[in-house]
Amino acid sequence: MTSRRSFIKKSALATAGTMLLPNFLKAFEMHPGSVLDSGKILVVIQLSGGNDGLNTVIPYRNDLYYSNRPQLAIPKERVLQASDSLGFHPSLVKLNELYDQGYLSIINNVGYPNPDRSHFRSMDIWHTASDSNEYLNTGWIGRYLDSSCRDCQVAHRAIEIDDTLSLALKGESIKGLAMKNPKRLHQILHNEFFQYVTKNNLPGDFDEPTLHYLYKTLAETTSSADYIYDKAKISQSGATYPNHEFAGQLKTVAELINSGIDTKVYYVSLSGFDTHVRQQPVHERLLSIYAESVHAFITDLEKNNRFQDVLVMSFSEFGRRVAQNGSAGTDHGTANNLFIMGKNLKQKGFINETPDLTKLDEGDLIHQVDFRSVYATVLNKWLSVNDPQIIKGKFQLLDFI
Amino acid sequence: MLSPSQLKHFNNRAAFGNPGLNAQSTTNSVSTILKHGSANKPIHIIEKLERDYESMRPSEAEIKEAFKKNKEDQLILNTAWFNQLIDPSAVLREKMTFFWHDHFACRTRNAFLAQEQINTIRTYAFGKFGDLLMAISKDPGMLQFLNNQQNKKDSPNENFAREVMELFTLGRGKYTEEDIKNAARAFTGWAFNPVTGEFLFRQRQHDFESKTFRGKTGNFSGEDIITMILEDKQTAVFITKKICQFFVGAEIPNATLQELSEQFYKSDYDILQLVTTIYSSDWFYENGFKGNRIKSPVELIAGIQVHTGGNFQNPLNVIFLQKALGQILLQPPNVGGWPTGKEWIDSSSLTFRMSLPSLLLRNTENQFMAKDDGDANDVTNTIAKAGKISFSSDWNTLSKVFLKNSASDTMAAVEDYLLAVPTTDANRKMISVFAGSSQDDPEFLKKVFIGYMSLPEYQLS
Repeated sequence: MTSRRSFIKKSALATAGTMLLPNFLKAFEMHPGSVLDSGKILVVIQLSGGNDGLNTVIPYRNDLYYSNRPQLAIPKERVLQASDSLGFHPSLVKLNELYDQGYLSIINNVGYPNPDRSHFRSMDIWHTASDSNEYLNTGWIGRYLDSSCRDCQVAHRAIEIDDTLSLALKGESIKGLAMKNPKRLHQILHNEFFQYVTKNNLPGDFDEPTLHYLYKTLAETTSSADYIYDKAKISQSGATYPNHEFAGQLKTVAELINSGIDTKVYYVSLSGFDTHVRQQPVHERLLSIYAESVHAFITDLEKNNRFQDVLVMSFSEFGRRVAQNGSAGTDHGTANNLFIMGKNLKQKGFINETPDLTKLDEGDLIHQVDFRSVYATVLNKWLSVNDPQIIKGKFQLLDFI
Repeated sequence: MLSPSQLKHFNNRAAFGNPGLNAQSTTNSVSTILKHGSANKPIHIIEKLERDYESMRPSEAEIKEAFKKNKEDQLILNTAWFNQLIDPSAVLREKMTFFWHDHFACRTRNAFLAQEQINTIRTYAFGKFGDLLMAISKDPGMLQFLNNQQNKKDSPNENFAREVMELFTLGRGKYTEEDIKNAARAFTGWAFNPVTGEFLFRQRQHDFESKTFRGKTGNFSGEDIITMILEDKQTAVFITKKICQFFVGAEIPNATLQELSEQFYKSDYDILQLVTTIYSSDWFYENGFKGNRIKSPVELIAGIQVHTGGNFQNPLNVIFLQKALGQILLQPPNVGGWPTGKEWIDSSSLTFRMSLPSLLLRNTENQFMAKDDGDANDVTNTIAKAGKISFSSDWNTLSKVFLKNSASDTMAAVEDYLLAVPTTDANRKMISVFAGSSQDDPEFLKKVFIGYMSLPEYQLS
């Protein structure tokens, strides 16, 4: 690749001059030959801090739920009752609507063996899809990029809507792109200095692998920034979203999806779920932001006839303990529920058993579904890749899609 | 004796960059330089929390107060260490301490324990690896982090024993699961007193029965296990390799590695002797080993301070930058330590790194935000934003050292000073356009610095 590029550059230099080069290369980059493209898009929503699953999806007929949480339990009459044993937190009216439409699957008791109760470490495990005593430096989406698009010369196959890139999106040779929005990314890269450096130094000019990697990253970022900006500026969403940063992130994702860019995975986060103290008002607010934003997002996609191409998965690094603590809050727990949203789900609603509050491990729920089963299912059945290097170990595929 | 270009390479690796303001004499030998830059300066800024909150049942207000103080203490300790990293009299020991902190990666919320742990590492950083290993294995912060407080005769916890062998000494696959089980039994009862923060051997929790470890059977103590691990040459190979990866930066020939680890083993694991040998070798200064190592975030920030004689006026800014770039001192991601090399670079980290010189030296408005990881007790989540970063550099002294007879001579001197590898003619041309040709412009030198520091090449050491 290096020498080929270098050759193209040198031969083009003789006739066209340097200013024409980036566009020429860009066109070359936009049509990578090795993309395994199923046409499907995955949107991952991370709830940071450890969402209290038991107060999100509520076992409203379970006496143990009420006796463990004298102040925090949601009274039965306030629960949005969905099945004959489970219902949603009253702030989740909009999520309940998606449930009624058959757009939501809830997988209960998702976790992993030997759960770690540290935020950082547990999030690390979810990002890398490692065992709890294993340390990996690449993320599961990053490894998906490695395996499906090793030769892609683009940075935007996976986009995180934030300034910094999460470990989940870092592969061995390919990494995702982090940005707040296309306009800002474009602005940053169109700083005079960056433009000059990018235009006048091509990755192929550098033989030393590390320096080559730096210039390659810069060139691909610039190229992706231009591509995304050009595509996205014509697809401003007219849809109404709640006035919150998280909703804004999803709006950006919807605009990008509707613009038709060739991004396979989007990643957004909502933070603040670490509710050790006076949980009730905080959790209520976060859940309503979550539900209203996700509902607006899906409505937007439907209106643009794209929802059938999108699968949403939302998770948190752990659930919280079954019993409330002494500060009207909850401490770090283990297994949790996980939401899947899509237009044509094969299993809708609650797809496995409710949490067993009689069988706890030192006060914590015991996981029944390994989160890597969910990842493997999404990779295999939605993104159509089947590489044992992405998720190491054998995990049973599920049937929700 | 080192040539100026060798001295630069030495400082890029053994310290945090070439100090322009405290120029070293090139007439010194490597061992003399090592002696002058390796003072042991323990940090004693955090007071011991002399109260046992586990058994005294404090009130909610007391807990809150202690929590608040500890959060502040974490910030104070981080910035105190960050400042000391580049202290010229200690910088070589600090860099080595930074290496061992990554090797013996540990996160503890207790700022006092964190302070004591780094002081321990600092003391043994250039000593015998066996002493360092023994000290860190009895370190309260580490015992807490690796759950050895829960490692008891009747319910062993293998976490500590596993990481000691997998990450600290032998390396993955160089031991059996049986070795881990038996070593864990030997470490039962290794604990600490939460009031005094001192190591404690809890006899009643220790398993005094016979154990079989690496083919030998006996009534082994934890100390015996560590001694047996050190008797295995594999430990010398593993540590030598890791030191070379960090300080040399590229794969070194297997024969060289064997030779170095053999020497390390025979010297009873003398760390100073090992690094002196590396830094005194001709191969260390070959071009193939220069400028091929990506600076970690801490190395990048500290390097900018060294290169510009700069200081952060607001200590919180330096924590913001560590968080935004993804490496916060005393908060490694897990016991495996921080990422390395290319793992640090993605589209957004590279563009932020390249914008950093303007943010610091020109005080441009910063919009970049660090990620809130959702942990309500992580004090760094409260400083995920920083509008303007106040950073002051010593332009008077820098002008005296770097302003030459002509603009182009000045540029050449600054390029050689800041970059580990030369940049391209195109970039030089751009920087000269950006900086202007008049050295009478009081901003000229600053612009030249910003220009070179904003290049991809500046990410390399």
